[in-house]
Amino acid sequence: MSTIKYLLPILVIALASNNVFAKTIQGKVMASDNNETIIGASIFVPVAELKKIGSDKVNVSTVTDLDGNFSLEVPDKTKSIECSYVGYSTQSVPLKDNISNMVITLKSSAQLDEVVVTGYQKIEKRKLTAAISTVNVNDNMLGDVMSVDQALAGQVAGLSSVATSGAPGAPAKIRIRGTASLNGTQDPLWVLDGIPMEGTSLPSMEDLKDIDELYSSSVAGINPADIETITVLKDAAATAIYGARAANGVILITTKSGKVGKTKITFSTRLSFSPKTDIDRLNLLNSSQKVDLELDLLKSGYTYRENKGDVSRIIASAGLTDSYKANGWNALTSDVQGRINNLRSINTDWNDILFRSTFNQEYNLSLSGGNDKATYYTSLGYNDEKGNVVGVEANRFNLVAKTSYRLSRRFKVGASLFANRRVNKSNLTDADGFTNPVYYSRRANPYQTPFNADGSYNYDTDIQGKEDSDLKFNIFEERDGTSYELETKSLQAILDAEFRINDQIKATTQLGIQLDDTNKEMVADHDTYAMRKDKERTTLAVLNNTSFLPDGGKCTNAASTNSQITWKLQGEYSNKFADIHELEGMVGTEIRKTWYKASTATLYGYNRKTLQSVAPIFPSDTWAKQYPLSTKSYSENAYASFFATASYTLLHRYTLGGSVRFDGSDIFGVDKKYRFLPLYSVSGLWRLSDEPFMNEVEKINNLAFRLSYGIQGNIDKSTSSQVTGYYQNITMLPGYTEDMIVVGTAPNTKLRWEKTKTFTAGADMSIFNNAISLSLDYYNRDGSDLIAIRMLPLESGFSSMYVNWASMKNDGFEVSINTRNIHTKDFMWFTNFNFAYNNNKVLKESVPENQTTPGREGYPVGAIFAYKSAGLDDEGYPLFYNKAGEKVNAQELLKLNSYGGSTLTAAEQRDLYTYIGSSDPLFTGGLMNTFTYRNFELSLNFIFNLKMYVKTTPSYSPTNFDRGLNSNADILNRWTSTNTNTLFPVLMQSGYRQAEYARYSEFGLYEQLDTWVKRGDHVRLQNVRFAYRLPSEWVKKASMESVTVALEARNLFVFGANYNNYLDPETMGNQFAQPIPKTFTFSLNVNF
Amino acid sequence: MNRLFKYILSATLAFTLISCDDFLDIQPTGKVIPQTATEFREFVTNAYSIVPSDRGKSTFRSDEFIMDAALSKEDLNSYKDIWTWNDDSPSESTSSFDWRSYYQIMFSANYTIDSKDKITNGTPAVINQLVGECYMLRAYMHFLLVNLYGEPYTACDPATTKAIPLKMNTDVDKVLSRNTVGDVYEQILRDIDEAEKLINVESWETGLTYRFNTVSVDALRSRVYLYMGRWKEAYNASKKVLEKRSELEDFSKYLPNDFRSVESIVSLERNLTAQFQKAGKVNKTFYNLYASGDLRRSKYYKLLTASNIQALKGGDDNYRCTFRTGEIYLNAAEAALESDEIGIAEAKTILLSFMKTRYNASSFTAKEALINNMAIDDLRAELYNERARELAFEGHRWFDLRRTTRQELQKIYSGETFILQQNDKRYTLRIPSEAVAANPELAN
Repeated sequence: MSTIKYLLPILVIALASNNVFAKTIQGKVMASDNNETIIGASIFVPVAELKKIGSDKVNVSTVTDLDGNFSLEVPDKTKSIECSYVGYSTQSVPLKDNISNMVITLKSSAQLDEVVVTGYQKIEKRKLTAAISTVNVNDNMLGDVMSVDQALAGQVAGLSSVATSGAPGAPAKIRIRGTASLNGTQDPLWVLDGIPMEGTSLPSMEDLKDIDELYSSSVAGINPADIETITVLKDAAATAIYGARAANGVILITTKSGKVGKTKITFSTRLSFSPKTDIDRLNLLNSSQKVDLELDLLKSGYTYRENKGDVSRIIASAGLTDSYKANGWNALTSDVQGRINNLRSINTDWNDILFRSTFNQEYNLSLSGGNDKATYYTSLGYNDEKGNVVGVEANRFNLVAKTSYRLSRRFKVGASLFANRRVNKSNLTDADGFTNPVYYSRRANPYQTPFNADGSYNYDTDIQGKEDSDLKFNIFEERDGTSYELETKSLQAILDAEFRINDQIKATTQLGIQLDDTNKEMVADHDTYAMRKDKERTTLAVLNNTSFLPDGGKCTNAASTNSQITWKLQGEYSNKFADIHELEGMVGTEIRKTWYKASTATLYGYNRKTLQSVAPIFPSDTWAKQYPLSTKSYSENAYASFFATASYTLLHRYTLGGSVRFDGSDIFGVDKKYRFLPLYSVSGLWRLSDEPFMNEVEKINNLAFRLSYGIQGNIDKSTSSQVTGYYQNITMLPGYTEDMIVVGTAPNTKLRWEKTKTFTAGADMSIFNNAISLSLDYYNRDGSDLIAIRMLPLESGFSSMYVNWASMKNDGFEVSINTRNIHTKDFMWFTNFNFAYNNNKVLKESVPENQTTPGREGYPVGAIFAYKSAGLDDEGYPLFYNKAGEKVNAQELLKLNSYGGSTLTAAEQRDLYTYIGSSDPLFTGGLMNTFTYRNFELSLNFIFNLKMYVKTTPSYSPTNFDRGLNSNADILNRWTSTNTNTLFPVLMQSGYRQAEYARYSEFGLYEQLDTWVKRGDHVRLQNVRFAYRLPSEWVKKASMESVTVALEARNLFVFGANYNNYLDPETMGNQFAQPIPKTFTFSLNVNF
Repeated sequence: MNRLFKYILSATLAFTLISCDDFLDIQPTGKVIPQTATEFREFVTNAYSIVPSDRGKSTFRSDEFIMDAALSKEDLNSYKDIWTWNDDSPSESTSSFDWRSYYQIMFSANYTIDSKDKITNGTPAVINQLVGECYMLRAYMHFLLVNLYGEPYTACDPATTKAIPLKMNTDVDKVLSRNTVGDVYEQILRDIDEAEKLINVESWETGLTYRFNTVSVDALRSRVYLYMGRWKEAYNASKKVLEKRSELEDFSKYLPNDFRSVESIVSLERNLTAQFQKAGKVNKTFYNLYASGDLRRSKYYKLLTASNIQALKGGDDNYRCTFRTGEIYLNAAEAALESDEIGIAEAKTILLSFMKTRYNASSFTAKEALINNMAIDDLRAELYNERARELAFEGHRWFDLRRTTRQELQKIYSGETFILQQNDKRYTLRIPSEAVAANPELAN
C-alpha cells in the first residue's frame, strides 16, 4: 500500500502531462538465479523509445511491489519497455500480446551491475565511488595454504602480504596501502560476514622473531574452503563507515551460502609434500674448517670464551694451552693432535637430523542447497600440517552451518555458526633462545654428536645464550622431554534479520558473538635443560645449596578467553525518482563489548606419566612471588558507534556519496571529549561511458572516474594525561602484605588525536567487449599528529611513552589489469596483473633531544640509516667515512670517552648516519596467467616486492665471536696480519683500543654499518597449478556433477637481489625463522 | 508505516545515545588514578618496593667476598666481573647496577610532593607524613646514586666534579645533564630539612618499619654529613638519633640488621639478597678481622668448611635494613674522632659503649685497655675495622672504602690476580650504557 502512496505522485504527474493512454501492462519480475521475485525492480519506457513514438513525456516508469508485481500504463505505440535491478542486467522486453501477465526474468550480471558487499551495505558496482577490490576465492587462488591471509599475497593491488615464518599456521603480515599509523596495530580490520573479528592483530614483528612463541590469529580459524569472496576496502570512502579500527583498511570475508536448487555436495582434498629445506646457502663451516678456526683463534690470543669448543678443551685437558699458544701445533703431543684431527672426521649434519620432509593433508566436505523458503550451507573441514622442524605442527577442524529463512514477504532471518578447534605444537624453548632447533642447527658444532657411542645423550656445553653456562643441554633430550601446545576453540555465531517495511525502506539487524578459548600447555620433564635452569635459579644458600623446587618436571597451563558481542541495527532507504534520480541512505548504530579473561597455573614436581605434582615450599614470600603458582587477569571494553551513509545518483552516471561515523569507546583517565571520535568521507563518481556522446564509441564498454576524500582518527587508549596505575600486592616485610599501586605508563598531558586524511582518485575502464579491463588509482594519505612510542631518558623514571610524533604521507598508485588475451572455443588465456607503488614519507618529526639515531623527516618511515663503512684500517678495525669524506676509525668518528660512550652531542651523533633505504617495498604486485585448453588448466602466479632493504645481523661480532658455536664462512675471511685484503674486521681484544672495543661490544656499533643493510627485492613464483576437469560424460555416468584433479607447486623459485648466506630474501631480517617451505600438492575436487 | 519506522528508529537511537555514556563508563578492573591519601600511600608503597639492592651488590666490589670456580656458573656469569672490577669487557650476563629504578622512585616521590595539596580523604598529619617520606625517598635515592656513580665527596672537588643528574620534578621530556657532587649533596640536605618539617610518625608498627620515621631524618643526616666530612654536624645528628634509640642488640634473638631487632630504625633495603648470599664466599682475610671473643663471628658467619664461609646476615626479607642504631654509634664515634671540637675522648667513649655489646666480657676488657691507650691514627684504624666488622654484608663496606682509605685491593681467581689500585678510578662506577644510550648528555 505504501508503494502506491509513493508511486501515486509520480503517476499523477505523468497523468497530468498527457491524457492519451492506450494500454496498461502488468506482470511480475523474477530473478533467474534463485527464482525469487524481485522487489523494487524498475520498469520503464526508455527515453529513446518515448521520443521515437512521438510521446511528449519524459518519464514513464514504476517499480515492483513487495510481491514483485508491477502495473504501468504506457503510451499506445510503445514497442518495448526495459527492466532493471541492482545486481542484474538491464533487460529490454518487447511488448507483444501478453501484456497483462508478463513475466520478466532478470539475469544476474557479471560486470558493472554486480553488487559489492561492504559489510554494512550492498552497493551496485556502477555506483561505487570507493576503492574496493574483490577476490573470488577458488582453488586456483588459494593453493595449499592453511589460512586465507597467506593466500592474499600478490592478489590485490596495494595489499602487501609478507610471511612471518614458514611454520605451519604462522600468520602473514598484511599492509594495505603502506603503513598508516605507527602506534599499536598496523593490521587491517577483518570482518566475517558483516561482523568485525577480534583477535586478528599480530604481535609486533619483534615478538614474531621469537619464532617459538605460538600464536594463532582468529583469521587462521576460518577454513579457506568456506570462503566465497574476499573484498578489500582501501580508501576512506569505503572504510570510514567502519570507524577508527579501519584506519589500516578492511578485509571482508564473505562465506559461501546455500543457493536455491537441488542439494549440492562438494568434496575436496589436498595432499601435499614439503621437502626438507636445503641449507647450503647458509655457508656454514664444516668440521675441518671449524677445527682450523679454533686452532687459529687459540693461537691468536683472542680470549673471548677461550675455554669453549672441543679444540680448546682437548688442549687444556692435556695442560698444553700455554705451550700451544707459544709454539703452535708442533707443541702438541701426538695423542692430542690425533684427538683434534679426529674431530675433523665427524660431520654431523644437524639440518638433516633436526628437520624433516613433511606430508600434509586437508579434507573438506560441504552440503548446500535450499528452496524459496530456506537455504542452507553446511561444511566440515580438516587440515593437518606439519612443519619442517620436527615437533612443529598445526591442525584444524572446522564446522560451518549457515541457514537463511524467508519467513514472509517482508521478513528474512539467517543464522550462521562457525566453529573450529585448532592445535599448534612447537618446541618449548622458554629457557633460552639457543634451545630453538632452527638456531641449534645453525650454531651447533659440526663435530658435535647428539649421542654417545652407548646411545646416551651427549651433552653440548658449547651452545650458549648470552651466558656461560655449565648446565647440560642436548637438543634431542630437550625435544623429547618438553612439549608446547596451543589449543584454540573458537565459536562464532551470527544472527541476522531483515525486515522490509516497503520497497524503499528496510531495517536490518545483526548480532555477532565470538568466543575464543585458548589453552597453552608447556611441559618440561625433570631431565631437561629447561628444568635444570629453573633449578639452578632457585638454588639457595639457606637451603644448603639445593633448590626449593621439588624433584620432577613442571607444567604450565595458560588459559584465556576472548569474547565479544556486536549488535548492529540499521535502516536503509533507497528510491528512484523520475528514473534519473536515485537516492540511497542508511543510518545505524553498533554497540560492541569485549571481555578478556586469562589465568595461568603452574605445577612443579610434575610427572607426565602419573600426572602428579608436588607443591613447592617457598623459602619466602619474595620467592613465591617470583614463581607464581597461579595468576589471573581480566579486562573488558565497550564501544558504541553511530553511522550514516547517503548516496545520490543522477542520470545513472553521476554519483555523490558520503558517510559519517561517530566512534565511542571506554577510555580511562582520558578527557571525555576524546570519547567520541568523528570520521567522515565524501566521494563522487562520473561514469563517462554512459554519457550520450560516448554511445558512438563502441570499443569502450565502461569508463568511469572516482574521487574520494575522508578523514579518520585514532587516540592511544593506553596513555593517560594523569598518573594511572594498577593494583598489586607486596610483602615488604615478612608476614605483612599490603596493596600497592604500580604506575603503568608515563602521563602525557599533550597527547592529541592522530588524524589521517585520505584522498583517492581512480579510473575504471573496460574496452574491446571487456577483453581488457583496467583500474587505476592514485591516493594520498596524510597522517598528522601520529602517535608513536618514544624512548625517554631513563632519568624520567620511564623507558618510553606514547607521543604525537610526526606527520607522514603515503602516496602512490595502483594498477590492476585483467586481460583476456586469447579466447577461442578450446583455448583461453587470461592475465591478471596488479602493481602498486607506495611512497611513504615522514613530513615532520619531532626528534627527541636524547635520540642519537637520525630523525626520519623527509625519509620513509621504514628508513634504515647506517654508518658509511670505508673498509678496515691497518689493524683490521672498521673505518668510516665522516662528513668530510675522510676515512676515520670509530674513536675519531664518535669522539669516544674511555668507556665507549660518545662525547658528541646527540645531534652530532645523529648527523653521522647515512640514509640507505626503506624497509618497506616501493613496488609490490603480482602477475597471474591462466591458460585453459579444453579440460586442462594451467596457472602461474608470480608475486614481487621491489626496492626494499633489510637490516641483517652481522655474520659475526668482532668483539664477542663465540668460538664454541658454528658460524658462516665469513669468519674465515676476517682480517688477520696475513689476510689484510678483506672487508671483515679483526677479532678485537678487550684492553686494546679499549674505547672502540667497548663501543663495539656494548653499544652494538658493528650492526650499524651499512655493510649489513641488504637489498630485499624479490620475485617469487608463488604457485604453479595444473588442473584437469574430467570429461562430463564420464563423470555423469558415476552420477557426479564434476570432478577436477590438480597438481600444484608452491614457492618453487625465488629470485632475489642478493641473499647469499640466507635462505630466503623474505626472511633475511630474521635468520633463525623457519624458512618458507616448498610444497607440492595433489588436489581432488568432486561435486555431486 | 514509513513514519512509524522513523519513530521507532529515532526512539532507538535516542535510547542508545542516552544509555551510551553509561555503557562506556567502564572502571577497568584493578586500575586506578591515585587521589585519596590511601591511594597515594599505596602509590608510595610501590616506590619503596622497587628500591634496588645495589648497596648489597656493591659487596662484590669490596673485599668481603671471594669467588672461585666451584661456584655456580650462573653466579659467576652474573657477578664475577663486578668482583674483579672488570668494567671494560664484562660478560653480557653481568648483573647491572640499577639506574632507572632510582629515578622511577623519584618520579613517584616528586609526583606525591607536587600533589600535596590535592590529596583527598586524609588528615593533614597523614598527608604531611606521606609527603615527608617522599622528601626522604628523594634525598636517599640521590644519595645512593651519587655514591655509586659519583666521586666521593671527600676525594674530589665537589664544586666541579660532575656526578649524576638531580631529578626534582615529574617532567618526563626534559633531558638532564649531570650535576656536580656538591650540588647533589646540597639538595639532599635541603630535602632532609623539608622532610623534617613534615614527618611526624616516630615509629611504625611491625611490618611497616620499611617506612621513614622521624628518627630516620637524623639518621640519614648523620650518614650524609659523615660522607661529606662535616664532622660536627654528623656528630650532632647522630647524638639526636641516639637520644631516642640507644639500645643495642644483645644477639639473644635476632641479628642487629633483622627488622625485628631493637636496633632497627628503617628496614627498607635488601642488602645481602639470597642471590648474592649464594654467589660468593666470605673472604677469609675479612673473616679474620673478627677476634675469637667477638660475639659476631659465630652469629654473622657459618663455617661450611675451613675455606667455605657463609655470610648469614641476609638471604631473606627479615634482613631488610637501611638505618640501624649500630651504624649511628659508629658514625658518632668517627665524627667525634675527626672533629677537633669534640675530640678523641668522646670518640672513645662512644666506641666503647658500643663495643661492650659486641665482645664477651674478657675480650672487651682487653679491648677497652687497648683503645684507651690509642692515639688518633690507631683509633681511626680500629674504628674503620670495627665498622667493617659491624656493618659487614649490609652494603656499607664498599661505600666506606671509597670515602675513607681508598686502599689497594687484590683478588685471585684461578691463579689470575686482579688489582684495584689505591684511588683507582674504578672506585666509582660508570653510568650504565643503556642510560647513556637514552641520554647522551650523561657521557659528558
